[in-house]
Amino acid sequence: MKKIDWEKMSKPIILVGAIIILSVLRPQSFLTANNFANVLWSVSVIGIMTCGTVFVFLAGGIDLSIGTLAGLSAITVVEIIDKMGATNASVIIGIIAALCVGAFAGMVHGLIITRFNIPAFLVTFAAQSVYLGLSMVITNNRIVSAREPALFTSIGSMKILGFPLPIYLMIIIALISWFSLSRTTFGRDIYAVGGNPEASEISGVHVSKDIVLCYVFSGLTAAIGGIVLASMTQQGMASTGSGYETQVITAAVIGGVSLLGGVGTVPGCIYGVVIMGLINNGLNLMSVPSTQSGLVQGVVIIIAVAFDALQHQDQSRKKVKRISEQIKGTASS
Amino acid sequence: MFNKTDCNRTEQGITRRGAIAAIASLSASALLAGCSGERTERTDSTANTGDTPTTTSSKIKKNPYTEDIKIAYVAHDLSTPNNQAWLEGIERECASWSNIVIQSFNGESSAETQTQVMADVINQEYDAILLQCSDGTALAPSVQQAEEAGIPVITINLDAATVHSALVMAVDYDAGRMAADKIADQIGKEGKVAIIQGVPGLTRTDNLERGFRETIANYPGIEIVDAQSAAFEKEQAITVMNSFLQNYPDLKAVFAINDAMAEGAALAAQSADKKGQIVIWGADGEKDALAMIESGDMAGTIYTNSWDEGSTAAKIALLMIGSEYSYTVLSETPQVIMEPIVVTADNVGSIPEEDRW
Repeated sequence: MKKIDWEKMSKPIILVGAIIILSVLRPQSFLTANNFANVLWSVSVIGIMTCGTVFVFLAGGIDLSIGTLAGLSAITVVEIIDKMGATNASVIIGIIAALCVGAFAGMVHGLIITRFNIPAFLVTFAAQSVYLGLSMVITNNRIVSAREPALFTSIGSMKILGFPLPIYLMIIIALISWFSLSRTTFGRDIYAVGGNPEASEISGVHVSKDIVLCYVFSGLTAAIGGIVLASMTQQGMASTGSGYETQVITAAVIGGVSLLGGVGTVPGCIYGVVIMGLINNGLNLMSVPSTQSGLVQGVVIIIAVAFDALQHQDQSRKKVKRISEQIKGTASS
Repeated sequence: MFNKTDCNRTEQGITRRGAIAAIASLSASALLAGCSGERTERTDSTANTGDTPTTTSSKIKKNPYTEDIKIAYVAHDLSTPNNQAWLEGIERECASWSNIVIQSFNGESSAETQTQVMADVINQEYDAILLQCSDGTALAPSVQQAEEAGIPVITINLDAATVHSALVMAVDYDAGRMAADKIADQIGKEGKVAIIQGVPGLTRTDNLERGFRETIANYPGIEIVDAQSAAFEKEQAITVMNSFLQNYPDLKAVFAINDAMAEGAALAAQSADKKGQIVIWGADGEKDALAMIESGDMAGTIYTNSWDEGSTAAKIALLMIGSEYSYTVLSETPQVIMEPIVVTADNVGSIPEEDRW
């Protein structure tokens, strides 16, 4: 019989454990298809953004600009709808423009980071302010409403088989990311670049080009996140998306992504995103007062991450023990 | 962090009705203060008696309509519609005088940022400060410092925990009370009700909730089943409302502490095919909320004319700049309370387009 790989199983165990605990605590409301749709809907934007930004993390970088870039993209689409009139054509033009904004911003980040050799933290941190500032200037710090047309408002809330559209978008983007990272040369190169950029360069990987592409993808998913957010709330404003970068980083790290690069997977990210959604949903369903929810949220995240880390350590300890026994065995023979 | 506005553009028409309402509420609050025996005693030493003032106040007066005047507006978060409407109100009020410069600073929802801004503004010797305190206690030393330096501080909605020149505010406790009574009427005085809270610890939001809870307590048939925070965010309110709908299928009404969250709750109800079935109330009266009341997504809100509120604060600032009146004579901060209007589908049409901020 094939031995169970506990290292791989720890995340599903935590997920199932969390679901069982919440089902027992809130049997009436938690374990329903509608509630699962709500959980996934509430984290879909973070999920979409995490699936793109994970490329940057894996390549050893960081993207702090995604929150305000999502805001700028949201404003781009709602401004175009507002100025051109609430027609389907303006929605399509708005979406294309917002995606271009995201991809272009990502390309600029990547080029500055690789050409000028400036730390990604600094570049994207500065870019964060630039996008917030741009959004403020464009909107004159006002809320731009987009309550129609239906083509736009349905992006964030239209239901297919009982599940809102953003959940499908998250799944599609997760599949694209997973495929690119695990089934293509580009994906393997990203892991190599994140693990050891010098060695990758020597072995013929186009490090700079790959890094730029990572930021383009990150910018693109930030833009998609922004469009979905604008549609969900039927508005765009300068502060739309602000702070999402922290949630994306948290989800990725919970999901086992190393901020040092080279380690992490897309399923891991989705796990991190869903765990965050479950914790939030659980707190809401159990009516935890807002004064305590931050505390409970933090403690639950630490417990989940510690449990996961413990499983990994256990496995590595066993591995070390096995190898040292093998060495001893060879030495004695 | 700051935006500069040179106020030499034409005034865009402050609503006369709102201004009258403000003056009316000023007199009403003065009357109320008088009735409750809390009227501030003005000492003779500060009374300006024409050409021979007997004042001992060290405050230097300036003519706000001819001399160069710099007014700082230190917002809690400039990106919110309320903060923007106040800024516009302030700018409109001063637009006719090219000698007045309004400089707005974004507090980025942080008391630390506001404290730094306050220090800069005091150093640069502004003539007046219009402030919305992110944290009344944390900002109190800065407010006191400004007043000591002869810079009058007028707070807007969010008070400072120290005596200062004036506070201009929208009703809070009463807004909660009014919303509670209206909701009770609309749901037939029985059923389950939930609250969507803002960030706990802010005087305005705490008072709104207290007003709501204490009034709902008068209706034995109504039960407040839950209260969750959505941090004033529309998007978070969607999630909170979804969990309410999940947990309480027979929920009758939701009261959100601000309009943005009420709009989020209405979107969640819409998505769950429960548009109009749940009575959703907000408080503020922003443009989008009024539109949602018109479309039947929301049931009501407590409207305040925020343009008028900003303009009132600016008027007081100009008055203070032009007088030797000093905060030292005050035992508590004088208040101007803005007129609240209870808006439902029945009267939403009576709020004209030019009063929708």
